[in-house]
Amino acid sequence: MVTPAEQKGVIPHTLSADRSARKRALLDQAVRYLVTTGGITVLAAVVLIFVYLLWTVAPAFAPASITPSHQLSVLPRSAALVDISESGEVALRISTDGVIEFYEVQQGTPLAAYDLGVPISKAQRVYPTLNRYALLDTTNRLWLVQTDFEVVFEGNVRKVVPRLEPAFGQQPIALGATAAFDAHLANDTLTIASVDGARLSLLRYTNVEAGFPLLDASETSYLHESPIAHAYLGPRNEWIFLQSENNSLHVVGIRDFTHIETIFQTQLGAPERRVTALTPLLGRQSIMVADDRGSLAQWSVVRDSLGFRLQPIRSFELQHGVHTLLAEPRRKGVFAATGDGHLHLLYPAAGNIVAEQAATMTSPVVSAISPRADLLLASPAADRLTLYQLHNEHPELSFSALWRQVWYEGYAAPVYSWQSSSADNDFEPKFSLVPLLFGTLKAAFYALLFALPLAIMGAIYTAYFMAPELRAWIKPGIEIMAALPTVILGFIGGLWLAPIIESELASVLTAFIAVPLALLSVAVAWSATPPSIRRRVPGGFALVVIPAIIVSVSLSFQLGPVFENLFFFGDSRAWLREVAGLDYAQRNALVVGMVMGLAVIPPIFSIAEDAIHGVPQHLINGSLALGATPWQTLTQVVLLTAGPGIFAAVMVGVGRAVGETMIVLMATGNTPIMDINIFEGMRTFAANIAVELPETEVDSSHYRILFLTALVLFVITFAFNTMAEIVRERLRSHYGRL
Amino acid sequence: MQATPTTNLRRPNHWFDANEIWVWLNAGALALSVCTVAFILLLIAFNGLTHFWPQPLYEITYRDADDRSVTLIGQRVETDTLSRTQFTEAGGDASRLPENANQVERWLFKTGNRRLNPPDFRWVYRHDIITQAQPETLTSIERVEWGYAFGRIEALRFLSNETPGAPLSAVTGAELQPVLQSTLQRLNDTRDAIATLESGTIKQISSELQALRLQQRAMQLSASADATNRQAQLRAEEQILLQTYAEQETILSGLLSSLAGSELLVQIQNGQQHTIDLADTLRVSYPNRMGFVDKAVQFTSNIWRFLSEDPREANTEGGVFPAIFGTVLMVLLMSVVVTPIGVITAVYLHEYATRGPLIRVLRIAISNLAGVPSIVYGVFGLGFFVYFLGGNIDQLFYQAALPAPTFGTPGLFWASLTLALLTVPVVIVSTEEGLARIPMALREGSLALGATRAETLLQVVLPMASPAILTGVILAVARAAGEVAPLMLVGVVKLAPALPIDGEFPFLHLDRKFMHLGFHIYDVGFQSPNVEAARPLVYATALLLITIIVSLNLAAITLRHRLEQRYRSFE
Repeated sequence: MVTPAEQKGVIPHTLSADRSARKRALLDQAVRYLVTTGGITVLAAVVLIFVYLLWTVAPAFAPASITPSHQLSVLPRSAALVDISESGEVALRISTDGVIEFYEVQQGTPLAAYDLGVPISKAQRVYPTLNRYALLDTTNRLWLVQTDFEVVFEGNVRKVVPRLEPAFGQQPIALGATAAFDAHLANDTLTIASVDGARLSLLRYTNVEAGFPLLDASETSYLHESPIAHAYLGPRNEWIFLQSENNSLHVVGIRDFTHIETIFQTQLGAPERRVTALTPLLGRQSIMVADDRGSLAQWSVVRDSLGFRLQPIRSFELQHGVHTLLAEPRRKGVFAATGDGHLHLLYPAAGNIVAEQAATMTSPVVSAISPRADLLLASPAADRLTLYQLHNEHPELSFSALWRQVWYEGYAAPVYSWQSSSADNDFEPKFSLVPLLFGTLKAAFYALLFALPLAIMGAIYTAYFMAPELRAWIKPGIEIMAALPTVILGFIGGLWLAPIIESELASVLTAFIAVPLALLSVAVAWSATPPSIRRRVPGGFALVVIPAIIVSVSLSFQLGPVFENLFFFGDSRAWLREVAGLDYAQRNALVVGMVMGLAVIPPIFSIAEDAIHGVPQHLINGSLALGATPWQTLTQVVLLTAGPGIFAAVMVGVGRAVGETMIVLMATGNTPIMDINIFEGMRTFAANIAVELPETEVDSSHYRILFLTALVLFVITFAFNTMAEIVRERLRSHYGRL
Repeated sequence: MQATPTTNLRRPNHWFDANEIWVWLNAGALALSVCTVAFILLLIAFNGLTHFWPQPLYEITYRDADDRSVTLIGQRVETDTLSRTQFTEAGGDASRLPENANQVERWLFKTGNRRLNPPDFRWVYRHDIITQAQPETLTSIERVEWGYAFGRIEALRFLSNETPGAPLSAVTGAELQPVLQSTLQRLNDTRDAIATLESGTIKQISSELQALRLQQRAMQLSASADATNRQAQLRAEEQILLQTYAEQETILSGLLSSLAGSELLVQIQNGQQHTIDLADTLRVSYPNRMGFVDKAVQFTSNIWRFLSEDPREANTEGGVFPAIFGTVLMVLLMSVVVTPIGVITAVYLHEYATRGPLIRVLRIAISNLAGVPSIVYGVFGLGFFVYFLGGNIDQLFYQAALPAPTFGTPGLFWASLTLALLTVPVVIVSTEEGLARIPMALREGSLALGATRAETLLQVVLPMASPAILTGVILAVARAAGEVAPLMLVGVVKLAPALPIDGEFPFLHLDRKFMHLGFHIYDVGFQSPNVEAARPLVYATALLLITIIVSLNLAAITLRHRLEQRYRSFE
C-alpha cells in the first residue's frame, strides 16, 4: 500500500525502512516461535504416546462399584423370576400367579403383560440361552417360553416392544412331581432334569429347532442315594451336578441314558457348616459354593491322568453367611449377598472381591444380573423392583491375574498361562503376562548372546586398530546392515535357516565350535607371521580370515553327520528328546538368537565404536609411551575409559532386542510357553501384540491388556534408552574435559 | 581388510606378542559379521533372480513307493542329499539303495497341474528314476487360476457356439504355433478391455451410486424442508445411473462371452489328456526349446511382469505392483509430514535452544523416539490416530456413512502419520549433523551484515543444510519402506481392492487400505496356504525390497560423503 506521504516523496525513506524493519522483526519473532514450538513437539509426542497408552490402560484397573440406582413401583405380585433384556432397557417379572410383565427399566412404565393362566411354582432360564425361560406350573407342567424385543421408531422416538411367545410349540411338557429342575439347550439338544426327593428324572429332546414343537424325546430316571436339593446340568449334557441336603455333591454321568452312574462325589466343606447357596459359573465347568459362615469356594471339574474329579480351586471369606449367589450370564463372575445385607461382586479367576456395597438385602431375594453385567435387578417386595448400577468393566484384570500363578477352571494346578481368546463363548480367558515376559527376555537373551561378542569385538577392532581408510568403508557397511528390514531377516530365519537347523542340527552345532576355533587359529597363525610377510599379502588379514570362515562352515557341514553318528546315535534331535529330555521346535530360540542377533549388531556396534574411537589420543599415546603393548593399552586404558559407552551400547541393544517384532513373529512358533530350552519357541510382548491386536474388540479387557503390554514395552525400552543416553551424555562431557 | 593396525600405534620391537592374537580375533569377529550380511544378500539375490529365469521342464519316469512306474512332467526346484539313516527314517525303502551308498540324493519337482495331480511339489529319489529327458515339445502353460500346467499341446480346438462342447475345428501340427499365439494375443487384448471396463466405467458408476445413497442418508439425518424435492431428484439420478450400469453390464457380458470358444488339448503326465480353456490361459512357452537369448528375453519380461502386474491366486502368483505402489505412496506422504517436523526440531536444537535441562530432556526424548519398539508406535497409531482421531473425524464429517467407518479404520493416512512419528529422529539427527558442519563464521557474517536470525536461518543456514536434510529424508524413507510391524496395525492389508490413487474424486484416497512390500513378504511367506509354491515369489519380493532400501541408503551415504568433501573446503 502506498501512503499519500510517500507519493509526495517528502518523507525520508526511514519510515518505510521502519516498516520493513518491523516486518523483519515480526518474521524473526514468528520463526522463533515456530521453531521453539516445533522443537518441543517431539517432546510432546513422547509424552503423548506415554499418556495415551496409560489413558487406555487405566480403566482396566478402575475399581468396580455397586450403586443403588432407583426403584420401580409395580403391581403387587410375588416374583418367581426377574430378568433384564440384552439391551438393558426392559425388565421382566415372572410372577407366581402366572402373569409375565415387561417394564421399561428407567421409568417403570409397563410395556406389556401376558397371563399364562396357571400359577407358577418355579421359573428358570434355559441355560445357556439368555431369552428362553422354563416355567413350572403347580400341576408340574413345564412351559418353555421366549422373549423377543423389537425396536420401532414412532416419529423419531425409539421404542422397544417386548413380546413373549412359546419357545418350542404351544404344548407344555408334563413332568412328574418336581421339587427342583434344570433345563439345558446345547448343540440342538434340550435336556430337562427334574428331581423329587431322591429321584432324578431326565428328559432329552434331540434336533431341537427354535419355534417348532419338540420331537425325538427320550427319557430315563435314576434313584440317588440321598434326597436331592438342587440339580445343575453340566456342559454338553455330559454330566449333572446333584447337591444333597447333607452338603454332599455328586457328579453323575448322563451322556448315555441307559448307563447313569455317579462319576465323582465329595463333601462341600466341613460338616458343621451348612451350604446356603450354590451356583454353577458360566460354562458349568465349575461351581461356586457358599455357606452360612460366609465362606465361598469355587469347585472346578478337573480331568487328568487321575481321572474325573471336582477340585476346590480357590476360596473367599465374607463377613457373614451368604444367602444369594448369582452367576454373571456372560462372564465367569459371581454376585453374592450376605446376611448383613451387603452386596458383593467377585471375579474368581482374578482372585478378588471386586466390589462391595452396604445394602439391605438380608434374606434371599429373587434377583438377576443383566447380560451386559451392568445392572442388578432385585424384587425385594411384591410391589417394587430395585435396580443397582454395576460398574465392573474389567474384573478379569488384577495384579494377581496378570503376574501370579492362577488356578484356572479345569486345570490340575495353578499355572502361568496366556490364552486370550477362543472360539468358545464360555471360555475362561487367561491373561498371565508372565509367559510373555519370559518369552521376551528369552528372545532378547539369546539374541544378545550372539550379538554382543560380535558387535563389541568388531567395534573394538574398527575403532582402535583399523586403518582410517578401511574404517571409512566399514562404517557405511554396518549402516547398510542396520537398514536390512527385519521382515527380511525374519523370513530368512523362518523359512530358510529354521529348516536347515532342523535337518542339520549336528552340523550347525559343530559350526558353533568350529568357526570360533578357526578364527582363533587364524589369529594365532597371523600374529606369528613376520610383518614383512604380512605386508606382502594383498588384502591382508581379510584374505586369510574370510576363507577360514567359509572353510570352517563347510567343514562343519561335512563333519556334522559324522559327529552325529559318533555321539548322538545318528540322530541329534532324537538324542535331545530321549537322552537330554529337550523338546525340539523347528522355529526356536536358536534361530531367533542368530537372526535377531544379526539385527541388533549394528546399533551396538555403532555406539560402542563411537565411544572407543572418542577416547582422547593423548591417553593412548601416554600408555604406549610408557611401554604398554597396544593390547595392554586397549584393555587397561581404552576400554576402561570407553566402558560407560560400551555399557550404553549394550543397553540400546537390549532395548532393540526386547521390542523387535517381525523377526520373533516369523522365526518362532509364537507359543506362549515358559521353557528356557534353546530349542523351544516363545512368544514375546511385541509379537503377541502384532498377532492379537488387529482382531481385538475395542475397549475390551483384552484390548486394554494389549495396550498394557505396549506400555510395559515402552517403559522397559524407555528405561534402557534413557539410561544409555544419560551415560553417553556424561561420557561425552568427560571426553571433553580430558 | 588392511593388514597393518593403526598407524598411530607404536608396537614393541619384537614381532611376536601373544596379546596380538586377541586383536586379530576381534578382526575375525568383524569379518564374520560382514560375511554373514554379504551371504544373506547373495542368498536373496540368487533365489530372487532364479525365480525369473526360465527353468527347463523334465519328463521323468520313476518307481513310486508302491513299485508302480510313474511319469511326471515338471521343474526341478531343489536338490538335496540325505544320509542313509535319514532316508530310512523318512520311510524310504532301504532295499532299493545300492549296498554301499551312504548318501541318498533326492529331487524336488514342481509338477504343476495342481488340481488334477496333487500335490504339486514332490520329492523323488534319484535312484528311483528310470528315465529322464527334457523333450523340446514340453510346454509350460501359465493359467489365470490353479498355477501352471505342464505337458504337450496336441491340438487347439475352436468350439461351436450353438452346441456347447462340440468342436468346430481343430488346429494341429505346424499351424498350431502361429494360430495359438494370435489367439492368445486376441484373448489377452479382450481381457485388458474387460479390466479397463471393470475398473473404469463400471467402478465409477457404482461409486457414484454409493455417493448418491450417502446423500440420501444424509438428507434423512438432517430432515430439512425441501427434502422431498431433493429426494425425488436424487432418485431420478439414481435411475439414470442404474440404466447406464445395465448398459455397461451388457457390453461386459458380451466381452466375457467372446473369451470363450477355444480350448487346448494337452497331454499331461502319465499320458492323461486334459483340456484347458484358452480363456484361462495367460501364456504358453516351450522352455526346453529356448536358447540363451530367448531365456534372457523371457527373464526380462518376467521381471517386468513381476513389477507391473497385479497379484493372482491369493498373492502366490503374478506381480507385486499394488504393493510397490502402496509402499511408495505411503513413504511419500510420510516424508511430507516428517520433513518439516524433523527439520524444525533440529533447527531448534542446534540454532535456537540454549544449553540447559530442557535440551537434555529433548535429547533423551529423541533418543527414546528412536529406541521405542516400532510395534508400540503401531499400538499408539491404532488407538490414538485410528480410533480416537479417526473416530471423531467420522462423527464430524462422515456421519452419513456411519456405522461403516471412513477414517475410523486403519488406512493410508494413519499409516503415514504413524511412520512419520517413527522416523522423525532419523531426520533430526541427520539435519543436526548438517547444521553442525556449517561454519559459525557464515552465520556470524550474515548477522554482521544486519540480517536477522530468521533471515540467516532461511537464506544462509537452511540452503546450506539442504543436502543433509535430504540425506535424513532418504534415510527416513528407507527405514519406513522396511518397517512392517506397526503397519500391520494401522492400515496394511494382504489384498487391497483398489489403489489409493485413481480417477475418482478426490483422486487421492487417504482413507483406503493399501498393500506394502514388507507386509507382502510376511503374508505370502507365512500366511499363504501353499508356502512352497509362494517361496520363489517371496525371495523375489525380498530382493526388490532390499534393492530399494540398499540403494536409498547408498544414495544417502554418497550424498553425505559429498557433503563432507564440500565442507572440508570451508575449513
